[in-house]
Parts: sequence; structure tokens; C-alpha cells
Amino acid sequence: MRERLTGVRGLYRAGYRSVLAYRADLWFGIAGLVIQATLTVVVWRVLYAGHDEVAGIDRSTAVSYAVLAAAIQAVIMPWQFSSLPFRVLRGQIGVDMMRPRSLISQNLAQAVGTMVGRLPIGVAGLLTGLALGGVQPPRSAAGLGLWVISMSLGIANILIVNLLVSMTAFWTLEIGGFMIVYRFATAFLSGALIPLWFMPGWLQPILGWLPFQAQMYAPLSIWFGTRDGVLGVLALQVGWVVVLFGLLQLVWRRAVHKVVVLGG
Amino acid sequence: MAESVLRQEVRAGRILLRAAWRAAMGYRANFLMTIMGGVALQGTQLLFLGVLLAKFQVIDGWRFNDLAFLFALRLAAHAMYVVPFGAMIRIDQAVQQGDMDRYLIRPAGAYLQVITSYAPLMALGDLLLGCTALAIFAPQSSVDWSPVKVAFLVAAVLGGGLVEAGLQTFLAAFAFKLTSTMSMRILADDTISRFSGYPLTMFGRWGFLSLTFLFPMAFIAYLPATVLLGRTDQLPIPTWLAAASPAGGLLVFTLALMFFNRMIKHYNSPGS
Repeated sequence: MRERLTGVRGLYRAGYRSVLAYRADLWFGIAGLVIQATLTVVVWRVLYAGHDEVAGIDRSTAVSYAVLAAAIQAVIMPWQFSSLPFRVLRGQIGVDMMRPRSLISQNLAQAVGTMVGRLPIGVAGLLTGLALGGVQPPRSAAGLGLWVISMSLGIANILIVNLLVSMTAFWTLEIGGFMIVYRFATAFLSGALIPLWFMPGWLQPILGWLPFQAQMYAPLSIWFGTRDGVLGVLALQVGWVVVLFGLLQLVWRRAVHKVVVLGG
Repeated sequence: MAESVLRQEVRAGRILLRAAWRAAMGYRANFLMTIMGGVALQGTQLLFLGVLLAKFQVIDGWRFNDLAFLFALRLAAHAMYVVPFGAMIRIDQAVQQGDMDRYLIRPAGAYLQVITSYAPLMALGDLLLGCTALAIFAPQSSVDWSPVKVAFLVAAVLGGGLVEAGLQTFLAAFAFKLTSTMSMRILADDTISRFSGYPLTMFGRWGFLSLTFLFPMAFIAYLPATVLLGRTDQLPIPTWLAAASPAGGLLVFTLALMFFNRMIKHYNSPGS
């Protein structure tokens, strides 16, 4: 077990070092989130002018949600979420596949490393929200604990879906456009931009049955205690992680036969 | 003499552009998907606005029809930036990998070659979305359209595109000094994408003034929109300045281009 961990730890380190290597990028990421968190707080406060509650949600909850979602999104939904397509394109995938660890664990470790490297950005967003009085703490310590569990499941969900999507690279090399559509679709469908509370009535049940809401909306709704049946929410999240991981194994097994390493 | 230099530049630009677009069209399958990527990138913001307004109806005294028009104006202006200038996004690579060496010895302007180095296919998605949104929302807005106002709108869209192009050119010029300017340019682009479609006075007096004079995002869509909608009384700046806003793009872009050409002198070739 320890040996297996040692194998992927290097890749995890490569992931977070790839973020820290470009200090300027990290600083601009931080500055960007500070600006965006500030403007987001203003937008939501202005929106709520003249309303006490909209869709059963009060102003401070809506503002907190927007700031927290932006901070969490900056950490767990990076623009470069996988190096896999690039490695397939360049043929480096051949070397990856010869390593004594599965390609799946290599990629997951690297993606986790990237998220850890981006943590300072999220923290800066959170601090901005706190400074502006725009972030509510969870209702209770138990709520915080449940959020940690739910958030971890959400992150596992994102990691798996990201890897699944980047495996398209085994079938077609030009996937830039597809990746962008995917990025913005998940941002919207996961509730990272707008909480499901404010979505149109006909859309809510559809989003509820998609895996994306389990990435962001589910953990945040637990943070704010706006959902009954927390155990049901967690069970659905676990269910999605299991199903998606099964799918990942299936796709990977087919992808192995598709690998074409370009060059000598 | 000056005329012939300009003519040479135009001719060089045409040749470079044709080559770039032909290369981009090579991958047919990716073509449509990339355009969809462009639509998705900006369309999510439109969706965001639509969903919110369905619940809240009003933002800072603006109703859906006028906000949608403001937003459409921003999208169209953005297209005027990304279609001709989108290739600037790869400036870091051009400097790091020494493509600039080639640009500097060829008989055409370096800036021209940077922006024609490849065809930004995704920009066609922006163009599609911007034009469609403007065609739908301009007639529904409370603007009392006249030929003069239509002419002002066209000037505003072009000017807005030049403001964005100018801001990005200014930031891109730092590529000759810093190793990476990508995150800085993404930050500017992202802030514009997310927030330039709002009535900017809602960010308070100082917020508005810094978005007008420091980071002149207000010139992209908000200032011209207030003129067309007759809402200039909301502004803490003189009305004439808002009325002249389409010319702002020309000013910002000219200054930025001068700055870019000065910064080229700091270029160090990565080769030996």
C-alpha cells in the first residue's frame, strides 16, 4: 500500500508544483478572485434591493453562496483540469502507460496536486468575502462536518468526470472546442454560477438527476442547511461517485486499445 | 512613401490571414465544436443574466429588455475584438519559443504578424452570438431607434471592440519583459466577460470611476448604452464624455499599440 502511494505522490507533487512554478500566475489568480468576489457581493446585494426573500432564500444566504461558490470553483475547477489530452497529442502517453501505476491513479494524483496548489486562490476569495461581511458560517459544527464529507464527494465526482471527458483525446485529437463547452456547461449545471434555488421550475428536477449538482450545489446546500434529508443527498453523491468510477474503468479499458503513439 | 507602407501592410495582412484561416479550416470536425465553444463561453453569462432576471426582474432600476440590450452590445463589441485580434492570446508562446525572431525579420509589422499568426476559430462563435443577441435585443430595448442612433450603435460596437483590443494589447506588451502574461490577460478578459454587461454605476461612485478611467471597461458597452437609452443622468461624469464614448476605443487602442511597439525593443530572443 505504502509503495503504491509513493508511486503517485511524485505525480501529486508535480501537479501542485505546476501551479506554484508560475508565481505570477498564482498572484494574478489571487488578485482576480479578490476583484471578482468583491464585484459579486455588490451584484447580489443590488439584485436583492427591495426583496426580503426570493425563492425562499434571503439576501445573506444568496450572497454567501455566490462568494463561496466562486472561491471553491477557483480551486476545484481549474481551466487546465487535465494534462492527458496534451500527453496523448505529444505521444508522452506511451511513457505514462509504462509506469508501474495505472494511468487513472497517475492522472487523479496530478489533478489533486493542482487543486492543492490552487488552494491559496480560494482562501483569498473566502477572506475577501469575510472582510465584506458576505460569508455566513455553517449553522453548526455538525453542519461543517457534513459539508466536509459532502465536499470531498463533490471533488471526487469532479475528478472522475474531468478524467472521463479528457479521455475523449484517445478517440479524437482536436478537442479544444469540446473542452470549452464542457467547462462552461459544468460551471452552469453544477450550480457554481447560480444556485439551483433560482433556476426555473422545469429545469430543477432535470439538474437534480444529473451528476453535476453533486459537485457544488449539494455540498453548499448542506453548508447553508437549506436541504432536508442530508443523508439522502450524501447517498446520492456516493452513488454518483461509484457509478462514474465504474464508467471510468470501462472507458479506460476501451481507450487502451485506441492508443496510437505518434512518432518513433 | 507612408501610403505605400500602409498598402504593403494591408497586402501582408491579407496573405497572412488567408493562410491562417485555411489552416484552421483543415480540421472540419473540430470546426463546429470550436464555434460552439465560443458560444458557450459567452452564452453562459447571458444564461446567467436570463435566469437571474426571471427571478429578480430588475437590476439597479434596469429591466430585462434594456439589460439584455446592454449585454448584447457587450457581446457584439467582444466579437469585434476577438475576430481580428484573437490570435494575440498566444503572445507568450511567440516570445518564449522565438517565433518573434521570424516576425521581426519579415517585411511586415510584428504586431500584424502576431494577430494573424493563426485564425481564432472560436471567435466565430462570439460573432454569431453577438450579432444574434444584438439583432434580437436591440429592437426590444426602450431605445427610440433612428438612423443617427443606429450609426451610433455601429460606432459603439466597433469602439467597444477596440477598447478590449487596446487593453489586451497593452497587457500583451509585457510579454517582452515577463515570462508569462497569460493569467494577467485572462484576468482582464474574465472581468470584462463577467461584469462589463452590468449598469456599472451599481458598483458605487469610486467603483464606476475606476472602471471608466483606470480600467476603461465602461467604454465597451455601458457608456454608449446610457446614451442610446437616455440614461446619462445616472452618470457621475459629464454627458459629452459618454456621447464621445465610441471614440474612446480608438484612443485606447492607439496608445496601447504605441506601447506595444516600444516594448518590442526589450525582446530577447530565446535562441542563441
